[in-house]
Amino acid sequence: MFYRLSGVYHSSLISDSRMFKVPADRNLAVFLLLIGLAAPFILPSLYLNSYILPWLIWTAAALGLNLVTGWAGQLHLGYAAVMAVGAYSAIHTVRLGVPWEIALIIGGLAASVIGSLFAFAALRVKGLYLALTTLAMQFVMDWVLTHSPTISGGSHSSLQAPTLALLGQQITSDAGYYYVALGWCVLVTIFMLNLKRTGLGRALVAVREKDFAAAILGVNSFYYKILAFAASSFIAGVSGALLVATFYFLAAPEQFSVNVSIQVLAMVIVGGLGSIIGSYFGVALILLVPGLVNGLVVTASEELGMQVNVETLAHIPNAVYGALIVIILMIEPLGLGKLYGNIRDYLMTWPFDQLRK
Amino acid sequence: MKTKRKVWTIAIAAALATSGAMASAQENEPIKFGLCFDLSKSYAFITPQVAQAAQDLAMYTNENGGIEGHPVEIIVRDHGNEPQRGVECYEQLKREGVFIYNFLSTPVTNAALPRAMKDGNILMQSFVGRGDAVDGEVFGWVFPVGPTYWQQAANDVAFIKGQMGGDLSDAKIGFIYLDYPFGQEPIEILKTLAEKEGFQLELYPVPLPGSDQSGAWSKIRRDKPDYVISWLLAGGHVVASKEMRRNGFPIDRYLSVNWMNEVDINNIGAEEAKGVLRGTNVAGGQDVPIVKTMLDTYYANGKGSGPESLVRDVYYNLGLAVYTTGFEAARLAIQENGWPLTPESMKSGYEAIENFDANGLMAPVTVTPQDHGGGGKTRIEQWDGANWVPLTDWSADYIDVVWEVIKESSAKFTVE
Repeated sequence: MFYRLSGVYHSSLISDSRMFKVPADRNLAVFLLLIGLAAPFILPSLYLNSYILPWLIWTAAALGLNLVTGWAGQLHLGYAAVMAVGAYSAIHTVRLGVPWEIALIIGGLAASVIGSLFAFAALRVKGLYLALTTLAMQFVMDWVLTHSPTISGGSHSSLQAPTLALLGQQITSDAGYYYVALGWCVLVTIFMLNLKRTGLGRALVAVREKDFAAAILGVNSFYYKILAFAASSFIAGVSGALLVATFYFLAAPEQFSVNVSIQVLAMVIVGGLGSIIGSYFGVALILLVPGLVNGLVVTASEELGMQVNVETLAHIPNAVYGALIVIILMIEPLGLGKLYGNIRDYLMTWPFDQLRK
Repeated sequence: MKTKRKVWTIAIAAALATSGAMASAQENEPIKFGLCFDLSKSYAFITPQVAQAAQDLAMYTNENGGIEGHPVEIIVRDHGNEPQRGVECYEQLKREGVFIYNFLSTPVTNAALPRAMKDGNILMQSFVGRGDAVDGEVFGWVFPVGPTYWQQAANDVAFIKGQMGGDLSDAKIGFIYLDYPFGQEPIEILKTLAEKEGFQLELYPVPLPGSDQSGAWSKIRRDKPDYVISWLLAGGHVVASKEMRRNGFPIDRYLSVNWMNEVDINNIGAEEAKGVLRGTNVAGGQDVPIVKTMLDTYYANGKGSGPESLVRDVYYNLGLAVYTTGFEAARLAIQENGWPLTPESMKSGYEAIENFDANGLMAPVTVTPQDHGGGGKTRIEQWDGANWVPLTDWSADYIDVVWEVIKESSAKFTVE
């Protein structure tokens, strides 16, 4: 009824390797993209610039982490540090007079180099040991940022980003920032959608499932792991740079600290490892829900005229938010993406499958 | 599935709509102070006291006719010390008609500062954020009334100079600090002063969160500095006091940054802490007229905005200091430029504050268009086992040296 399908049956390799195997999925994606493009005209600027914009950029970042953690199966606890490398190198490059387009790419490449350099050392170990090594990278980066005023921008450790300008156009409006974020997020999403159907993507999945089994099949697991780290670091770097350019307007070490790394990892896990739509949901939950719940709790207590202590009021949303994560992971350990997938699969042939029973 | 999506969007839209109600009525609009605080994470050791002080003060002001007849509203929100949520709070309150903000968190203030500067909104940032923001010529909308860490450190050195008979040439001053921007900030000024006064400066970095200081203190035992200036926070002081005892360093040579309150003293032990020194710009204790008023009017009848224990805390006084200054600025602004209050008039109201000490609550401040810090006066107090006893008068020293650093740093900031 919703999908007008009796099931997904492929009769040729071409149909099997389509990006969207179900036409309704493609239509939905196009529909959402159109909404995305129209958003500045239909959404109030508050939601555009303080909810949707960070959501899009963090989604792009989370997709990058999903590449290395979800696809290649390598736990990464230093993702924010890689974002910091991208952000700081891009800003410094722009401050030297290089245009933003090139600076963003330089930021991405710098992050990529540092990220995969660490991976070289880190990939000699696996699993939890790798996680700890990446965590070490986070601490090294934190230390570098707080101890080198030339990088972090003086004794206050805040480095101002010059005004974003792309294609000779200064970007200063909310809508402008939003479109930049949307553009980047769409780009990363398309990349990830395509990754699934390439040899690279399949190789990564093989490495994730069992790296020595992959090696027996002729997949050089070390090479693919490095590749995954490099690609994901590039995405992280550009996302970090864009986050500062369009949202924070200045970079400070706290914006890329260890708890941010944990947060991105939480986004990916709650969203679903290896799920693209899941990354969108995961970021929404981790990034936006605390603020929204906070707003709701404040409004509710005002409406009900309750005299709640400000401190208690601040802790209720935290409890709600924590409970929400636990509940979601209990209902569906594979994350929000899987939850969505379950609903989609159920509705795929509905109601005709009911007749069969 | 599309319907699924629709339901989802409607739910979100409903959630957003409830929180986004906008007000427009002009005449009876209260003067709104936005307090986007970190009430649940790193700054929770101070924010409840400050928020409570602001609420008490607003209640008291409103019951006594408001500011020039206009009521005050205090809006408190939590941002959990996350820059992203701080920005969200800023943007949301901006649409509710707030143009006076306080974030009371260095990372969040830093994240909100470019927006406040661009939008032309008042940013109160006493004790947090970048120190060079006292330069009113560069940071026109930022009002860090109170001493910068640079000025505080300079005043500390001046105090030590006084204690050592006016000559620091054979002195050795230690500086123990949390090894991140908060603690590193005064180093530059201390180095400059060490050169100027000829004292020997020893640096003792302590890794976050300050619970492991044994290395630093055994070095202090070897170096035997005359005084140790401390840029530690909360629990850091307690650890330091244990280490001082272990290493035989007299606690009355330990001069703390203003972040040391009754809770820390209790944790050290009131008797044990006897002699400890603290630089501060607000008078501690409950003998201050305005604190007494609050206790008598509200807390005696159980009508305060929170628990009384929070009033008996120097950070409550600090909150009162920040908000009496803010209210005074609003009063001057309305007096000079009339109603409605705008960011511009509020700014000029701030800049018209002259020799204001909130009836003995704090160091007198004189804010000018050039100096948004109000002069940076502090005094040194000593804990006598029950009370803080002031050892010096309110004063600010080495002003030209400090301003050189401020100017040098603020020159790098440009508004785009």
